[in-house]
Amino acid sequence: MAGLELLSDQGYRLDGRKATELRKLQARMGVFGQADGSAYLEQGNTKALAVVYGPHEVRGSRSKSLHDRAVINCQYSMATFSTAERKRRPHGDRKSSEMSLHLKQTFEAAVLTQLYPRSQIDIYVKILQSDGGNYSACVNAATLALVDAGIPMRDYVCACTAGFVEDTPLADLCHAEESGGGTTLSLALLPRRENIALVQMDARLHQDHLPALMEAATVACKGLSKVLDSVVRQHLQEVSVQTRE
Amino acid sequence: MIKTEKVLHLKSSRGRKVRVVRELYLREQVPCGSVLCQAECQHDGKLLSGDVTHYVVPDAGVVRDYLEIFEFREFRGVVFTQTACQALQNTRGRRHYNRLRGLLKDPRYDCVLYANEFQRFSYCARKMGESQEKWQTRCVYNAAVWYYNHLASLMSVVMITEDQEAIKEYGSQNSGVYVVSTREYLESFWPNLHAAQELYASIAQTLQDRENEGAEKEYSEHLPAEVLESGIKSGRYIHGTLSVNKHRAQHEAFVRFEGSASKNAELNSDVLINGMKHRNRAIHGDVVAVELLPRGEWKGRNMALTEGRGDEKGGETQSQPMPTGRVVGIIQRNWRDYVVTFPPREELQTQSRNSLKILAIPWDCRIPKIRISTQQAEALQDHRVIVRVDSWESTSLYPNGHSVRVLGKAGEVETEIQTILVENCISVTPFSEAQLREMPVNSKEQPWQIDQAEISARKDLRETHLVFSIDPLGCEDVDDTLSVRTLPGGKRLELGVHIADVTHFVKEGSLTDLEARSRATTYYLADRRYDMLPAVLSADLCSLLGGVDRYAMSVIWELDAKTLAMCSVWYGRTLIRSSYQLHYELAQNLLNGKDVKVPELAQLESSVQDQKLAELLQALKQLTRVARHLRSQRDKGGALELEGVEVRAQLDEDKNITALVPKQPLEVHETVAECMIYANHWVARKIQECFPHQALLRHHPPPRQEFFNQLIDSAKSRGFVIDTRSNKALADSLDQAVDSQDPLVNRLLRVMATQAMSNALYFSTGACPEEQYYHYGLALDRYTHFTSPIRRYADIIVHRLLMASVQSEKEEWFHKSFANNKELEEIAHHINNRNRAAQHAQKESTELFQCLYFRDKDPLTDERCVADAIIYSIRANGILVFVPRYGLKGAVYLKNRENQVVSVGDDGVCVWQAGTLQRYPDRICSCTSTGTNTFYLFDHITVRISVETSRCHSDNLHLELLNNKPHQSATTESRVSSRVQSELIEEVVRREEASIQAEVEKTRRPRLSKEEKEFRQSKAPNLYTILQEISELALSDTAFCHIKQNTVPTCTTSA
Repeated sequence: MAGLELLSDQGYRLDGRKATELRKLQARMGVFGQADGSAYLEQGNTKALAVVYGPHEVRGSRSKSLHDRAVINCQYSMATFSTAERKRRPHGDRKSSEMSLHLKQTFEAAVLTQLYPRSQIDIYVKILQSDGGNYSACVNAATLALVDAGIPMRDYVCACTAGFVEDTPLADLCHAEESGGGTTLSLALLPRRENIALVQMDARLHQDHLPALMEAATVACKGLSKVLDSVVRQHLQEVSVQTRE
Repeated sequence: MIKTEKVLHLKSSRGRKVRVVRELYLREQVPCGSVLCQAECQHDGKLLSGDVTHYVVPDAGVVRDYLEIFEFREFRGVVFTQTACQALQNTRGRRHYNRLRGLLKDPRYDCVLYANEFQRFSYCARKMGESQEKWQTRCVYNAAVWYYNHLASLMSVVMITEDQEAIKEYGSQNSGVYVVSTREYLESFWPNLHAAQELYASIAQTLQDRENEGAEKEYSEHLPAEVLESGIKSGRYIHGTLSVNKHRAQHEAFVRFEGSASKNAELNSDVLINGMKHRNRAIHGDVVAVELLPRGEWKGRNMALTEGRGDEKGGETQSQPMPTGRVVGIIQRNWRDYVVTFPPREELQTQSRNSLKILAIPWDCRIPKIRISTQQAEALQDHRVIVRVDSWESTSLYPNGHSVRVLGKAGEVETEIQTILVENCISVTPFSEAQLREMPVNSKEQPWQIDQAEISARKDLRETHLVFSIDPLGCEDVDDTLSVRTLPGGKRLELGVHIADVTHFVKEGSLTDLEARSRATTYYLADRRYDMLPAVLSADLCSLLGGVDRYAMSVIWELDAKTLAMCSVWYGRTLIRSSYQLHYELAQNLLNGKDVKVPELAQLESSVQDQKLAELLQALKQLTRVARHLRSQRDKGGALELEGVEVRAQLDEDKNITALVPKQPLEVHETVAECMIYANHWVARKIQECFPHQALLRHHPPPRQEFFNQLIDSAKSRGFVIDTRSNKALADSLDQAVDSQDPLVNRLLRVMATQAMSNALYFSTGACPEEQYYHYGLALDRYTHFTSPIRRYADIIVHRLLMASVQSEKEEWFHKSFANNKELEEIAHHINNRNRAAQHAQKESTELFQCLYFRDKDPLTDERCVADAIIYSIRANGILVFVPRYGLKGAVYLKNRENQVVSVGDDGVCVWQAGTLQRYPDRICSCTSTGTNTFYLFDHITVRISVETSRCHSDNLHLELLNNKPHQSATTESRVSSRVQSELIEEVVRREEASIQAEVEKTRRPRLSKEEKEFRQSKAPNLYTILQEISELALSDTAFCHIKQNTVPTCTTSA
């Protein structure tokens, strides 16, 4: 079979978006009562659930605790039914642990950990359905969960992927585009100051194209931050209406 | 953000059935691509015109099966839906899809793509249980309805489909949207377009026949694509292009592998595919995957000469066993249009008794017979017809095809020339109205004038510089001129090369540009030429004629007057007026101090004349000095010798073909050539610096050493040693390999050396690592083509790149979006292909004319059919010879069908006798009862030339051994053979014209002359053009020089 045409001559992608358009993002905060903070987020067909506990005392060995700031503990997992072919292990494989590490690094850069010395913040993220951009969906969901938990952060952390097809940067790749063999760059950004929390790219890309790709990812992240912001505001409004009554 | 809505898609892929959910975003604003749009869609790109009676929307089935019909430019207002495009891509593969993309991109076709599946109102989801075809038809119908409503009912829309139920179902649902079948559509809307109707009928019949096909397997099935891919990756299969042996098309084919075959160390040669069964339906040119057979089944290639008699003797004539394999799958079909002839009537009847199908015989003998369903076979007995191959099922012995167009009667010059063009995929329709409208006008009433704005924008060299051109006599398209002068102060010299500014007239993306790009080069055939640009440009406004103001692109160097070292270089647009339009002999005579008349000075008074002449002479002398210096400098700089030698070799050959160039190549040839190489080289450096990833350069890869074996062995037989380790060594040893008795030996050795080399190619700098930029023949690290924009498209691209790089320096990064690396690589590939096609076409047309010349001569009586020949290669049952008089090569058999061999009597006369042949590396012996005769390499013999006519293929020349002594009159006949060549063509042309005349008179209908008018763009060729074109026909098979050999000899190296 001929390879999929990721970008048609008319400028449409496989799912009908143009190069710079993002997938539809929907999110809800405070989906669980038990946890300190929680959020559910859909980015296109990628669905992620994030739960935050803490800050609380360091569990387990005390030696892990830091005297000047909080420890962030992340765990990433994928539901066995999240991909087209059923997964064997929901978490603990190489990929998941790597992803957990990335999430941890991302949020250590964003959360004001020095406010909570000798304590721990747990972030659990689960992918319910995977359709490309798992990392960015996790970051965005976790951000909302952290906001829900009331943990102070420097800024929203917004993450988005960008790819490069036929010299055109594409924002927010879906699974078909990611697996199409091109370059994928994931970027986690603190949008207000454009501080980069994490950037990752595995495939080869010519140096000259990197600025264009970064630019596309940055623009996409900023777009996402507006959506996340509106979700938070909406949530606050709902909560305040409820509490007033 | 744009409103989005999410819809689910079900798909299954990759072996196991997997349910994949994909999103789909719909929007309201999808550009409709029509001029009549009322809703202010945002358009970019081409639009459907509004002056047609209706728009036509073909459904998925029609696009899949009948796409070719829409390649008629008469169809206008065609809307292709996205649904149909995707169906085409999924069912017919990338090649057909790219063809559709080509149509959509090409502004000459009035068609657009409408992305109906992304439009909110024309999208429809597939219902449960609905078949894919039904759903596609419904989608297309919905799109058609939307289109009609979107244009506010201004234009009626016709949907065509092959699905009768759909016609019933949708036919009367909406007024203004008509649903008809393709046949009905063609008959009612285009009753006059018979070609389209015939094409439709031909395809329909083929499709129908395919359905009721038997199930007997003739070939093994091809493996699925995934298996092939993994097999190639793991090294089990070899991946390469199939090329069929011309002389043994039934039996032998070779696969030359591409890329990473080096994994398999034992494979250092091509893979042999023996027989049709193993070839498994692959056709010459296809990219295939091959599995190697076990070593025990390996075979050798047949070294004997055959005439397609097909009697394999086995054993004795075969070479060492070589890797042998069988085709397991086809990765890419490379089918093109084929010219065929129908079999003669008797055969036809036996064939057609059992079926309606006819096996047509392709002109190219490498292609298998093609099965066609047609009723016209009787009527088209002696005609040549274009067919296309549709499929080749494993159940069928031959591929299925359908006829497309009739070319004409076989044997007529026009038909044969058209055949050559079609076989090389050259399409040269006359320039269209729209293209000619883009051209500036230059007529008596309305002379073309220089734009005032251009004068200020360009450097004006009209008054300051003495500009002149040196070309062959009678040259029309002058694209290079030179100037040289001493700068004030006397310390610096200024050398200028001024090239016609074609890009000023041909804007990027204009119709002329597109046409030039698709032609890529001017095609020179034996009796005519097809220009790349319209005549008003190529022969007039772009041509740097003497005494008129012309735009030019210049490269101007400042050199130190004493040491001639390069100080600075300037590139830019200029305005010039060429003072002298010299030709080579005149320039050389001037330099030699002979008293010659310069036509430009004829009218002047003698005192002024003398002064001007002195000025010109001074310039020529300086130029020669500079060129000599440049050459010696480059010689010193490294292994530059080969280039010079190659050029000389080429000129050597040319001098023997063309009567125009005197025996000794003139120094002034080299002078001009040197300047052009210098300009090309510096332009290459400039654009490569400025566009490191998207500059168009030309490289010449070093040859593979094993290709030189024949050359080394042949030279050894005469006691010469050829060193091929580097280009310099090769050049030196070729220089020394001169037989004082026989200058032809050196010439043949050089031809062999040329054949061993690969072709020089254009490439994009982004696609190649920097160390591969090297030009082996010229020994330059960077090289491109800049100096002939009138006849090469590559030069036009280089001009644009150069202008952009000059402008980017002046202004702060004037960044125009140029073709990126990928596109440029595609263009380069296209130009390379076209050049190769042009080269083949030229060679074939020469052979055609050779055959036509000998056709009417009686070989037994006519003295002209007997000629001197020299042996250049030894085969098992014969020898290969070169006939210098006519510049042709051929095989001479020493063994005939009855297994008799040639024996030479005492008087030198040859007779056939029973005996044996014994082959050695440097000689062949025939032993008979009367004695033993030995033929050594490079021996002179006498041959008789006759024509072997063939119904379906091109005619061949047959050579027969007459005598083992040189031809008696050989010495007297060594007058320049080009005379013979040109006479040959002239005579054929004359004869053809006479026959045309006769026919005209007979039938009172100027049928052929009309054809002639249509196809021949230039006026009836005069003697000069004929001679000049002959001069471009290089002797060697590979050598090709579509450029005037005088200006840029480099191309000959590279050829």
